[in-house]
Amino acid sequence: MEYVIVGSSAAGVSAVEAIRSVDKSGKITVISDENYSIYSRCVLSYYLAGMMTEEKLKYRGEDFFKKHNVDSIVGKKVEAVLPGKKIKLSDGKTLSFDKLLIATGSRSKMENIPGVEKDGVFGLRNINDARKIEERLGKTKTAVMLGGGLIGLRAAYALHKRGLKVIVVVKSKHILSQMLDEEGAGFIQRRIENKGIKVITGLSAKEITGDKEVSGIILENEEKIDCQIVVIGKGVQANIELVKDAGIKTEWGIIVNESLQTNVTDVFAAGDVAQTKDLVTGESTINALWPNAVIQGKIAGLNMAGKNIKYDGSLGMNSVEFFELPTISYGITKPKGEGYEILVKKNDAQEIYKKIVLKNNKIVGFVLVNDVDNAGVYGSLIRKKIDVSSIKEELLNNNFNFAKILPLVKKYKEEFAEKEYKELVM
Amino acid sequence: MKKVYCNVTKCLGCRSCEIACAVEHSKGKTLFTAISETPLPVHRRKVQAVEEIIISDACHHCEDAPCITACMSGSMFKAEDGSTQHNEDKCVGCWMCVMVCPFGAISRRKNLAIKCDLCKDRTEGPVCVVSCPTKSLTVK
Ligand SMILES: Cc1cc2nc3c(=O)[nH]c(=O)nc-3n(C[C@H](O)[C@H](O)[C@H](O)COP(=O)(O)OP(=O)(O)OC[C@H]3O[C@@H](n4cnc5c(N)ncnc54)[C@H](O)[C@@H]3O)c2cc1C
Ligand code: SF4
Ligand code: SF4
Repeated sequence: MEYVIVGSSAAGVSAVEAIRSVDKSGKITVISDENYSIYSRCVLSYYLAGMMTEEKLKYRGEDFFKKHNVDSIVGKKVEAVLPGKKIKLSDGKTLSFDKLLIATGSRSKMENIPGVEKDGVFGLRNINDARKIEERLGKTKTAVMLGGGLIGLRAAYALHKRGLKVIVVVKSKHILSQMLDEEGAGFIQRRIENKGIKVITGLSAKEITGDKEVSGIILENEEKIDCQIVVIGKGVQANIELVKDAGIKTEWGIIVNESLQTNVTDVFAAGDVAQTKDLVTGESTINALWPNAVIQGKIAGLNMAGKNIKYDGSLGMNSVEFFELPTISYGITKPKGEGYEILVKKNDAQEIYKKIVLKNNKIVGFVLVNDVDNAGVYGSLIRKKIDVSSIKEELLNNNFNFAKILPLVKKYKEEFAEKEYKELVM
Repeated sequence: MKKVYCNVTKCLGCRSCEIACAVEHSKGKTLFTAISETPLPVHRRKVQAVEEIIISDACHHCEDAPCITACMSGSMFKAEDGSTQHNEDKCVGCWMCVMVCPFGAISRRKNLAIKCDLCKDRTEGPVCVVSCPTKSLTVK
């Protein structure tokens, strides 16, 4: 059996581990166009903030490929998936496979605004981006983030830590509009503004100025801001170009079924590049997140190696902490339409905000600001679609914890099927 | 793999386990020194209650551990013995693990996730088990 995996990040690495857990001898080749060993792009902002060394970006040991008996090809791009179970590399060579996993992830969406090509304009997606931003810090006083999503804000936080003046420009009404409601986002916005990061909402940049190098931006309202770094955090776009002519169905990403297989037999996709079902909304979408990529990589890997495991769907969820204000969101946080019930608890003085969204007495989403410790307990109730009417009053209590769901664990034995629940002595 | 189990019908919620756990994970390893350490030692076991049920709970060292899947720095990992361990040196405090732990078993301290390590450095085994006056906790 010859396995070929394109992409050597969250999904690709997890697929290798999964394949090797069942098939010790099949040949595995992993191809990456990056010229660096396995690292976590999620922690790049921490690296940029000076909170960790480059060495610590590596989330698996240097010997990972050797240990798993993998042929690793680095610094080469897979240009196309060809008919007859072959792929074509950027050096012109072709490679055959029995099972192929496309785990090519996504890239920063670079905006189409004039000046975006100037030196000093960056996305933050890979280690080279981080290194280039770092190199420029010496000649930078002010940095502007275009976009108030997770990556834009993480970059803002990092550069603020490095002593720069930082301005975040957001088109939406509030920051983190993907993961949070206005109220929850407000807590974070006030905290980061108090600490000196400026946030401009409701506007976008219409031009990046400067000769070869960026010298500033001009906003839609003609306001000019001088800056020497611009980081664009306008979301991501799946790397699907390699399957363009391969008869593989795509929309925003590569469309896969419950087995994470594409419409072409023996070709699988996982991670940011794969379009799957959202576990909560049931819609076909990409939740481009690390845990989703790891789980998908694992299931795709197992299925490639002959198992038959079904994927139950990806989750929209995230966790951030800025200036010691932790926030976690999960599932549907801004319900649209009928039939939702919303529970809210708010304490402005303590900067605590908790919101739980229910539908038909089942939790479908939540936001937790500054009181996040039980996020995973609520999360398990969402995943397992448990009727929580019997504990609804307790959900937002300060002393809510795992014990509170014990009666439900007892009642819904089939849903709480994992060994760990069965082991409880009750 | 050996784990710690709590017999819910025996636990009275006296919190002896919490104290023993915090002390065991302090620098000085005595109650007297532990209470004056900075940062304060954190207990990994939590006594929790619902109506008449009281449970002393901590990491269940899940077979298919969600915290490991979610950990984006690679600091949560499966040790040889099957327990879920944490390389505190790599943790960035992103709380992805907190987001997915179904037992709420992870505590937070400035940029650091903290959880039960089964007292891996204590040759006699988990200290909570011997600290429990009602023998609710067993290791097996
Ligand atoms: C700064 C930052 C912070 C983030 N923070 C979080 C967070 O807090 N929580 C969270 O859940 N997620 C976060 N993410 C998202 C997370 O990193 C992704 O969801 C995850 O990396 C997806 O993994 P993947 O394996 O699908 O793809 P990727 O990590 O994108 O990896 C794909 C790899 O394939 C390579 N590749 C692409 N095309 C080809 C080709 N044709 N040939 C060869 N190689 C190719 C790419 O260069 C890349 O190395 C963050 C991302 C960034 C950039
Ligand atoms: S920390 Fe939570 S998710 Fe991780 S192994 Fe322990 S109980 Fe399971
Ligand atoms: S807080 Fe630490 S242990 Fe938890 S997911 Fe983040 S890096 Fe991993």
